[in-house]
Amino acid sequence: MSITLPTYSRLEIPLLGRRQRVWAIIATGLRKELRRPAAIVVMALGAAFTTITSIAILFIATIIPSGQAPNLTFFAGPASNFFVLFFVSLMASVIGAGLIADDLQSMAFTLYLSRPITQLDYLLAKAAILAPLVAMVTILPLLLAALVAAFLGFFSWTIALEAMGISIVVGGLLTLFYTAITLFLSSLSRRKGIAGAGVFAVNFGLTIPAEVLTIVIGNRSILYLSPWDNYVAVATAAFGASSTGIDWAVALAILLGVTVLAALVTYVRMKAVEVITG
Amino acid sequence: MNGVVEAVGVSKWYGEVLGLNAFTASFGKGITGLVGPNGAGKSTLFKLLIGQLHSDQGKITLLGENPWNNVPLKRRLGYCPEQNQLYGWLTGQQFVETLLRLDGMPAAESRKEATAALKVVGLSSAAHRPTRGYSRGMRQRAKLAQALAHHPEILILDEPLSGADPAGRVHILRTISEFAKDGGHVLMSTHVLYEIERVTNNIVLIHNGKAIASGNIHAIRALIDTHPHAVRIETSKPRQLAQALARMEHLVSFEFPAADTLLVRTRKPDAFYRELPQIVSDTKLDVRGLESPDDSLDAVFRYLVG
Repeated sequence: MSITLPTYSRLEIPLLGRRQRVWAIIATGLRKELRRPAAIVVMALGAAFTTITSIAILFIATIIPSGQAPNLTFFAGPASNFFVLFFVSLMASVIGAGLIADDLQSMAFTLYLSRPITQLDYLLAKAAILAPLVAMVTILPLLLAALVAAFLGFFSWTIALEAMGISIVVGGLLTLFYTAITLFLSSLSRRKGIAGAGVFAVNFGLTIPAEVLTIVIGNRSILYLSPWDNYVAVATAAFGASSTGIDWAVALAILLGVTVLAALVTYVRMKAVEVITG
Repeated sequence: MNGVVEAVGVSKWYGEVLGLNAFTASFGKGITGLVGPNGAGKSTLFKLLIGQLHSDQGKITLLGENPWNNVPLKRRLGYCPEQNQLYGWLTGQQFVETLLRLDGMPAAESRKEATAALKVVGLSSAAHRPTRGYSRGMRQRAKLAQALAHHPEILILDEPLSGADPAGRVHILRTISEFAKDGGHVLMSTHVLYEIERVTNNIVLIHNGKAIASGNIHAIRALIDTHPHAVRIETSKPRQLAQALARMEHLVSFEFPAADTLLVRTRKPDAFYRELPQIVSDTKLDVRGLESPDDSLDAVFRYLVG
């Protein structure tokens, strides 16, 4: 057996900064997700379904005689579209749940951290992968609904542009919330199924019982337990529509507080994580 | 303390399990073999060195620095893990390129360096195939390529020969030797002493989380040769291979634990590993992987620790 090998030599190569290293993780993660049929189906269905229903809700609101000229409050309907809750849960479960759990399971995390990558870089990259995908359900449909409505002359461009701005803010809030919660759940387990189930539990396990209990007991404060109801309260207030019965400021504080807490706990957890097996 | 690696009284617990037990050793320049049976604490030591574990007691340094969460130090080391991989859908080229990009290497350079590193480990022809289709030996070589592609000062290789085929072993060992010849340091673990003696005489024996001996390999060899050494060979024709190997006088026994596996025991492992590639080459039999489930080292360790 004869094998000829090239001589190994050490080179000094100028290295790029942190942003490029983080981008390398994002690019790899996005390529991974865009190769998975389940992720593509959920993204396509989620974006299409929520956009179509948001447009439909907006048009129905303009058609039904309410004695009001088309104004900003009409956009509270699409923002409270229940399909957003369903698809954001599905997207977070199918795409987000595996973002960290899969890396822990396959030990790819070991390889990432053997490079000059901090845990914060890693988490920021994972958030940057998930957030735009979640935004396809939380922000994009609202923007498109406003755009289409303005093009068709249902609303003035002034109102449509204002609605778009508010949509970015309230949709962004929901995006941040689900990104933080999903990454937190994904970091807790090596099995993405558990993290995915956790996302559904946070959504429907809190929303449905909270709404049922509110009806049974008659105390609307219970709705503060539901992330979705908190979001709807904030979105409704942002578009100037009538209150859902819970204080939007408290709801906003809860959503922001949970988002920051989840992000912080995930960071602390990843910072302290020791790669034990392998 | 001027070694490449210095460990003083380092302990690491996993709950109630002790991974390292007041481990004290100093690894010098060049190639050092860390030899110990499975579960001895080799991987724990390596994870401490690459900063993915934090010691519960003692002090450990790599290239003079504390490795825990030490990001700049990671640029200076190349790590080849035993089992894990990145994503199976990445080709070998993409796998190495991606990890180089994580180092901050520009795209053009990472492409060039990945190609060069894959050539060094003998994977050029498979560079554009997904790594999920690689044999275990090819994966080991791909991991070695990513470890050395960014031109580190030290290579930390966790069982790099595990499961590699004969040709792959030759490639891996020669690559390691070339790296060291060029001035690099190598810390390489194995549970098979005979694999490491081709590239270094300098070894540290680890058992139950403790460094029990260090220094020249030959003194240890004499002890181990008294125990038959087992080698598990993956092949599609185990019986034909057994016939071909039967001419080795030092073989003690053959077993066929599975339809595609031959287990041989030899009293001269060094001769066995030397002669095997030639026999495989002559008979053109398909040998997909070698592994030593040997517990002879463990027996020697029990002897050494009394």
